[in-house]
Amino acid sequence: MIEARGVEKWYPNGFHALRGVDLTVEQGEVVVIMGPSGSGKSTFLRTFNALEDFQKGAITVDGITLSDDLRHIDAIRREVGMVFQQFNLFPHLTVLENLTLAPVLVRKLPKAEVQRRALDLLERVGIAEQAHKYPGQLSGGQQQRVAIARSLCMEPRILLFDEPTSALDPEMVQEVLEVMQGLARDGMTMVVVTHEVRFARQVAHRVVLMDAGVVVESAPPEQFFANPQHERSRQFLSQIS
Amino acid sequence: MATAGLPWWRNRRLIPWLVQAGVGLAVLVLVAFLVTNLVRNLTAAGLLLSWSWLDNPAGFDIAETWLPFDAGLPYWRGLLAGLVNTLRVVVLGLVGSTLLGTLAGTASFSGNALLRSLARVYVEVIRNVPLLLQLVFWYFVVFLQLPNGSAAIQIPGLVLAKSGLYLGQPELVNGVWQASMRVSVEFGALLTGLVVYTGAFIAEVVRGGVAAVPAGQWEAARSLGFSPLQTLRSIVLPQALRAIVPGLNSQYISLAKNSSLAVACGYTDLYSVAETTLNQTGRAVEVVLILLGSYLVIDLTISALMNGLNQLVQLKER
Amino acid sequence: MDSPLLRRLRRDLFATPLDGLISIVLVVALAASAAGLLHWALVQAQWAVIQANSTLFAVGRYPLDQQWRLWLLTILLAAATGLSWGLLRALPRPDRPARLWPFNDRLAAVLLAGLALGLPLLLRLGTAIQLRWWVITALLLLARWAAGRWGRRIPDPVRRWIPLIWPLLYLLGMVLISGGLGLVNVSPSEWGGLLLTLLEASFAILLCFPLGVLLALGRRSALPLLRWGAVLYIEFIRGAPLITLLFLGQNILGFLLPGGLAPERVWRAAWVLTFFAAAYVAEAVRSGLAAVPLGQLEAARSLGLAMPQALIHVVLPQALRVALPATVGQFITLLQDTTLLSLIGLLDLLGTARTVMANPAFLGKNAEVYLVLAVLFWGCCAALGLGSRALETRLNTHSTAKA
Ligand SMILES: Nc1ncnc2c1ncn2[C@@H]1O[C@H](COP(=O)(O)OP(=O)(O)OP(=O)(O)O)[C@@H](O)[C@H]1O
Ligand SMILES: [Mg+2]
Repeated sequence: MIEARGVEKWYPNGFHALRGVDLTVEQGEVVVIMGPSGSGKSTFLRTFNALEDFQKGAITVDGITLSDDLRHIDAIRREVGMVFQQFNLFPHLTVLENLTLAPVLVRKLPKAEVQRRALDLLERVGIAEQAHKYPGQLSGGQQQRVAIARSLCMEPRILLFDEPTSALDPEMVQEVLEVMQGLARDGMTMVVVTHEVRFARQVAHRVVLMDAGVVVESAPPEQFFANPQHERSRQFLSQIS
Repeated sequence: MATAGLPWWRNRRLIPWLVQAGVGLAVLVLVAFLVTNLVRNLTAAGLLLSWSWLDNPAGFDIAETWLPFDAGLPYWRGLLAGLVNTLRVVVLGLVGSTLLGTLAGTASFSGNALLRSLARVYVEVIRNVPLLLQLVFWYFVVFLQLPNGSAAIQIPGLVLAKSGLYLGQPELVNGVWQASMRVSVEFGALLTGLVVYTGAFIAEVVRGGVAAVPAGQWEAARSLGFSPLQTLRSIVLPQALRAIVPGLNSQYISLAKNSSLAVACGYTDLYSVAETTLNQTGRAVEVVLILLGSYLVIDLTISALMNGLNQLVQLKER
Repeated sequence: MDSPLLRRLRRDLFATPLDGLISIVLVVALAASAAGLLHWALVQAQWAVIQANSTLFAVGRYPLDQQWRLWLLTILLAAATGLSWGLLRALPRPDRPARLWPFNDRLAAVLLAGLALGLPLLLRLGTAIQLRWWVITALLLLARWAAGRWGRRIPDPVRRWIPLIWPLLYLLGMVLISGGLGLVNVSPSEWGGLLLTLLEASFAILLCFPLGVLLALGRRSALPLLRWGAVLYIEFIRGAPLITLLFLGQNILGFLLPGGLAPERVWRAAWVLTFFAAAYVAEAVRSGLAAVPLGQLEAARSLGLAMPQALIHVVLPQALRVALPATVGQFITLLQDTTLLSLIGLLDLLGTARTVMANPAFLGKNAEVYLVLAVLFWGCCAALGLGSRALETRLNTHSTAKA
């Protein structure tokens, strides 16, 4: 589904954020990316749906090669959903409108149909009764679940998560992780940047450790956590546990 | 990223440049169009850009100047005298409106409810009435109605009469007031109008700045035994200055620009000299350039000074 | 013997001896000025200058035999206002209480009726004109009542098009005022008074807003040329006094355009006002844009919205909400700035006032005239400010979001 080869990125200020990253994500696979702060996890994740551009290497998402072609970028953004650390819900729209905005505008689907699907999705993430509230009236955990539902409403084939639980109070982390676990069970392809070791152990098919703009290690969770191959991984694991 | 064979309207790297090129081209064409017209029309009118007319004798008088000026002097001296007249009202206006604004701004925190509401009413009334209307009001209704001669309003050291405002030791000589310093009622009306108007805006700036100081500062000072006034003066205002100075900057600049309404009270400032000059010479482009340039320089000067002050205020923190 | 009132008085006015002194001085001074003003207004002032020139103040030298067009426009405006007002109450949104006649509305209705009854009498308008105002006010309130009563029955597709009556009315108003479509042309030089003031202000407000939004977007654009262009324009305009720009418009525009293309003086001034206000509106909108987190745009883009869609549906609604008070503040300033037209020889309200007072019959009636104008402007500006604050609280009731 995702195929990244030798991706290198320099920020406009000259900072070399990605120094040749390779990653392959299969259909239905759940990949967790870990790594110290500033290692380039977010930057890498955001290249998948062209929120960040890159200078060298190649990325292919769902058979479409990312290029400067706007048509490809539009297509990829339609197929790839993204969930942010700060939720980024639209505060001036109700929960339901948050969900229906993109499908109606981008996919040009009839409003009634989208609304039906949106309500189903809200049901699935457990907040159907909040459909007519505004995001500001919800708790953090509820907001993040709405954000996930909003992405799902575009019927994406891949979901990207950038530290989806980092901005949540501890007691709300679980409800969001459960929703994500459910998605994984249903076979959604997911790339998740997170520090939640338990989620990585239970849900991920593969854990990837990034450091200083390169992938240091990529292994199934059992192996990654029990028996890391690289010195840098061991160091990282000792720091987070 | 692969770009070969990609049509330009789908190339995300090319599009920003194309947009800019398009906009740039449109602006260039527009400017070229306007400039060619300008040159053609000016040539036809025999008014091509030239500055030599500035040396011709002006032929008009200015009622009240600081720089000596008479009709025989060249235009540029007239414009300069107008500029000095503008600067005079701006500088005095800055001082006056700052005093009035600070007073009204702090009055809105007074323990006295009457004083508080008076400050509010002042701000609400002044800000919702056009400045120009206020200026003509001050001029025609207040200053031109001042009595003359011995009936004039006399305050020790100051006499307000229709014939002018006299400072120093004014005395009545043959029914005419005389003093070491006299300004016209036109100047008085303009200055009063500008000060009262700008003062209301500065009061809001001051109020906002003071309100931005955390309540804990008040409480801490009060618990140390400071009186409310002392607290305000030596604890709160110095901190509030950080929020106030940037707001003052824009108020000062609008005061400078607003001084161009001097014609409404019959005071001869830069704009009014420029208008007369245009009427006599027809040199519209040059006159407008002089006007815009002068006000730009005044604005920039104020900004520069206020920036310096700002740095001073912000630095004190550390 | 401590009644609450006394205690409050003591706390508010006589907390300390100094406070007490200030209070007493203020009370005496205020009472004296109030008495003086009242005496002047009731005894000394000669309001005939207003009464005799009410038409001049209202429409300037608009030809007498064509004034029915303005009456017609007023009638249409009243009907449209009543209709919109009533529908606003009849069709509550989920977040809006479904009260047909909230207290504020009753107050406004009573106030309107009072104005319609009182003002013409106060101004000693002729019976015919007085009657017209009564009918127009009655029409407004009737439309308000009817729309409130039966608004719900209007079928949905029709309802959606109702807001369109306003732009249509604006265009129709332009035709009615200036002529065309079989109506005799009335040259702009014959427009004056309140008519001219409102025309210039509404024209500039309507056009400066989109222009200001574009400039603000330009100023925050990632494309350097657009950004610098917008900065240059905004700073140039904000550096110059309006009067010099009006001066430029009157004296140089003719040179900048090919012969005959330069618009009428009234329209030149309107365009200058528009371009002037746009720079200030741009700054207000820019601060609104700055308040929208970057994540909003990213979220919209990652959902597949194109840039214009993301701006229109996600960024601008939030930015404009933040920018609303500052923007309305600029509109208020713009309304006040129309008085500068009198300095370039146009007969707006203030210009009309000056011509009236040049008339020997009304020489020296400055106080009366300027006071009335001040009250008029104060009323309009304060109402705009109140409206903006009401709108602001309504918009903020739900979405003080931390998202
Ligand atoms: N717009 C930018 N301009 C310049 N440098 C940037 C920019 N954004 C990020 N960086 C730098 O790039 C590096 C990688 O950033 P990135 O956000 O991808 O890290 P991360 O692994 O997601 O860290 P965190 O765990 O803190 O989110 C960091 O050192 C950061 O300082
Ligand atoms: Mg990150």
